[in-house]
Amino acid sequence: MNSILFGILTIVSLFIFMNLGKIKASKKQMNRDDRIKWSSRRKPNIHENRDGSKVIEGSAEEVSDKTKH
Amino acid sequence: MSKHSALNTFGRSGNPAFTRNFDNTEAFSQSERMTLDGAVNKTAILLGLCFAGAFVGWNVPSLTLPGFIIGTILAFVTIFRNPAKAGSTAPFYAAFEGMALGGITVYAEMQYPGIGIQAIGLTFGILASLLFCYKSGIIKPTENFRLMLFSATMGIMLLYLVSFIMSFFGSGIGFIHSNGLFGIGFSLFVVGIAALNLVLDFDFIEEGAERGLPKYMEWYGAFSLMVTLVWLYIEVLRLLIKLRSR
Repeated sequence: MNSILFGILTIVSLFIFMNLGKIKASKKQMNRDDRIKWSSRRKPNIHENRDGSKVIEGSAEEVSDKTKH
Repeated sequence: MSKHSALNTFGRSGNPAFTRNFDNTEAFSQSERMTLDGAVNKTAILLGLCFAGAFVGWNVPSLTLPGFIIGTILAFVTIFRNPAKAGSTAPFYAAFEGMALGGITVYAEMQYPGIGIQAIGLTFGILASLLFCYKSGIIKPTENFRLMLFSATMGIMLLYLVSFIMSFFGSGIGFIHSNGLFGIGFSLFVVGIAALNLVLDFDFIEEGAERGLPKYMEWYGAFSLMVTLVWLYIEVLRLLIKLRSR
C-alpha cells in the first residue's frame, strides 16, 4: 500500500513537471526588479528608430530651467 | 559595483555551471534558441537515462562505485568544458550517476524494504511542488537568496569533505551521520538547501529561455537540474534511513 502511494506520487509529480515546466512563469515572478542577474551584461532598454535616433524607455520627467542647474 | 563584496570578488555567481556563456546571445534564428519545452524534454531524456542506469545498478550493485566516480568526473567535465558540448556529456553523466543511485538504493532496500520508492516519491514530490511555487511566484529568487544558498551549499560540501578526510584517520564528524535528533535536524536542513537549489535551476532555465540563449544551453539547464535532483535524492534517502533506524 505504502509503495503504491509513493508510486502514484512519483507519477503525478512527473506529470506536473512535464506540463507545468513548459508554461512560462507568472508575471509576478518575471516582472520584478530584484530578479537574479544571471548575466553581468543586461540588455539596456534602448530601441533604435528608422532614422537612427535612439529611444530610451523610462518614465518621462519634466525639466525646467530652474531644475537644470 | 554590487553591494555584496562576495559578488564583487567571485563574480555574479560562484557556480560555474550557471554563469559560463550566459552572455553569449549572438544572433540566432528562432529554431536555434533555448526554449522551456526543449529544456523540459531534455530533462525528461536525462531522467529516462538515469532510470535506465539505476536498473543496471540495481541488478549489478558492484557497479555503484565505478558509476559514482565516472559520473562525478563527467559532471566536472560538463561544468568546466565548453557548455556547447553539454549535450554529449550530460546523457552519460545521467546514466552513470543512475547506476550509482541504483546500487545505493539496493543496499538501503536490503536493510529497510520499501525505502527506495519512498525516496523517489518524495524527491519528485519536492520537485513538482517547488516548480509550482516558482511558476506561481510564491518563491521569488533574488540575489540575496542565491548568495545565502551558495554559502550554505558550500558549507555543507566543506563539512562532507572534512568528514570524508577524517574518516581515513579513524574519526569523523559523528553528528552528521547519527540518527539522533541533531543528525535528523542536520539532514532536514541539507534536504531543504538541496530543494531550494532547484529554484535556482528553474530561474536559470526560465531566464535562459526568455533571453533566447543558444539551443545547447537546454542541455546545460537540464544537466544542472539533474545534478540537484541526484543530490536531493541521496539526501532524502539518508534522512529516511536515519528515521527508520531509530
